[in-house]
Amino acid sequence: MNKRVHYERDLRKYLYILPLMLLLAFIYLYPIIRTVNYSLYKLPFGGAEGTFVGLQNYKDLFDDPIFWRSLKNNVIWAFGNLILQMVFAFIIAAILNTKFRGMSVVRTVVLLPWIIPTAAIACVIRWVLLPNLGIVNEMLVNSHLVSSAVNFLGVDNAMKTLIVLNSWKSIPIGVLLILSALQTIPSDVYESAQMDGANAFQAFFRITYPIISKMLWFTSFLIFVWGFNAFDMIWMITQGGPDIITQTLPVMVYRSAFKTMQLGFSCAIAVVIALILIVIGIAYFSLMAKGNRDE
Amino acid sequence: MNKKLSSSSIIKTIIIILIVIASVGLFAYILISAFKPLKEVMTKAKFFPQEPTFNNFIKLFTSTSSNKNFPRYLANSLLVSLCAALATCTICSLAAYGFSRHNYFGKKALLNSMLFLYVFPTVILLAPLYKMFSSVGLVDNYLSLIITYVGLTTPFCTWILVSFFDRIPKSLEEAAHVDGAGSFTTLTRILIPVATPGLIMVLSYSYITAWGEYMFASILLRSNVNRTITQSLVDFAADQYIDWGSLLAGSVIVLIPVIAMFIPVAKNFIKGFTAGAVKE
Repeated sequence: MNKRVHYERDLRKYLYILPLMLLLAFIYLYPIIRTVNYSLYKLPFGGAEGTFVGLQNYKDLFDDPIFWRSLKNNVIWAFGNLILQMVFAFIIAAILNTKFRGMSVVRTVVLLPWIIPTAAIACVIRWVLLPNLGIVNEMLVNSHLVSSAVNFLGVDNAMKTLIVLNSWKSIPIGVLLILSALQTIPSDVYESAQMDGANAFQAFFRITYPIISKMLWFTSFLIFVWGFNAFDMIWMITQGGPDIITQTLPVMVYRSAFKTMQLGFSCAIAVVIALILIVIGIAYFSLMAKGNRDE
Repeated sequence: MNKKLSSSSIIKTIIIILIVIASVGLFAYILISAFKPLKEVMTKAKFFPQEPTFNNFIKLFTSTSSNKNFPRYLANSLLVSLCAALATCTICSLAAYGFSRHNYFGKKALLNSMLFLYVFPTVILLAPLYKMFSSVGLVDNYLSLIITYVGLTTPFCTWILVSFFDRIPKSLEEAAHVDGAGSFTTLTRILIPVATPGLIMVLSYSYITAWGEYMFASILLRSNVNRTITQSLVDFAADQYIDWGSLLAGSVIVLIPVIAMFIPVAKNFIKGFTAGAVKE
């Protein structure tokens, strides 16, 4: 009797996680398997059954200069975002970790770029950046920082502009994560270091860095992965243009599936992105595991 | 000593002001510009409007046609985001309770692989999800979008809620058990009220994510009437002739609900977010 009650309770506990598991299987597991599967077919979008072509899509992909250009763009994009975001996130977190008046208001305000929809910014930013009418050029020219208006979304600047915009929007997440780690350091540690005559640099490398290094690596990992996968900001502002100067791999996936309608080919790109990120993910997690063992 | 202190505190104040300007300057400019008449929008930019007007907003809401219906898009977005947020909250509370209070085969691996899902770009889910939903006739139906959004937010939200539930002492429930409460009653009557800050964070996070999402909406909702507000903004911006006045007003309409919703819950949001992060 007792055993049966126990058994029923055992089964019932699975009911709590069942909806989540079904959902994840439906939204992630099955689609990921299908993507791998589709990548082996010539599959016109929306059309009938495709024809099995084996690894032909991958061969086409690796022969395609657009793929290599997009991959290169993607690497530049991801590292640009990583560096910019980490530097500014750390500076802002360090300042927010000190005490000052209006601190809680500033902490909220700093998060705003992250929570607002990308579309609300992306759609009007082109107007703000217009060479002739935009306020940014107006300010730059009036203050004599530049001699003539800058074409922010032109061939030379589009990638840099997008990296800055995307970083601006994503920095708050880095600030939150780094700040949460900084707050675990008791302030009297610094006071005693100061009394021992340590300068700011020494204090950082001897005290701060060892405590927050894990969080810094975690934050870098997240920023890199999210940056690598970012789609909205690029698509909404330039759609990968001018030409393919700002086209990264996720943009290429979207374009080839829903604009040029080559679903199988698009899925092959998607699989390549996933493989790249799985390698990076495994590298990160095994490095962290090694770090934990060494401690 | 005192002088040095004050000069460094002035530098700090300046940096803080710069940070604040960098964070909200663009919003402020968009908000102010939405009240500029079209001729000011289309001439050399001045920061403040010379003749402020509500025309951009009025035009946005009154000049509706079969392929531009802003009030309808606003209602669509509200519906989708609210449903997604409530569903996320329900599914995550149940799952987080399970993970926090029961043992499962491979529990730790499950929780970790849930976070690992975020390593994958969501764009790889797009084509298969479209095919799946179209095979069951759910394309251009809000349900497909709601299910997708719930799928996107639940892994992270469950993770956050587990860390909230883990910190609630078990003695509370044991007392309830003695009083004869079942495990589901314990969840709804004891854990959920105590974990309210976590739930608020989950609700606002999932609402904000759904409200601003574009990629899935652009593929899963294909007809003109069913668009979300985010999608319609991007469509406006892709028009041959761009009506910057309406676009500015539209951006403000998209921004305001998110900011208004976020500010009151910011403290919970930060706490919930960092709680999950520091635990590691």
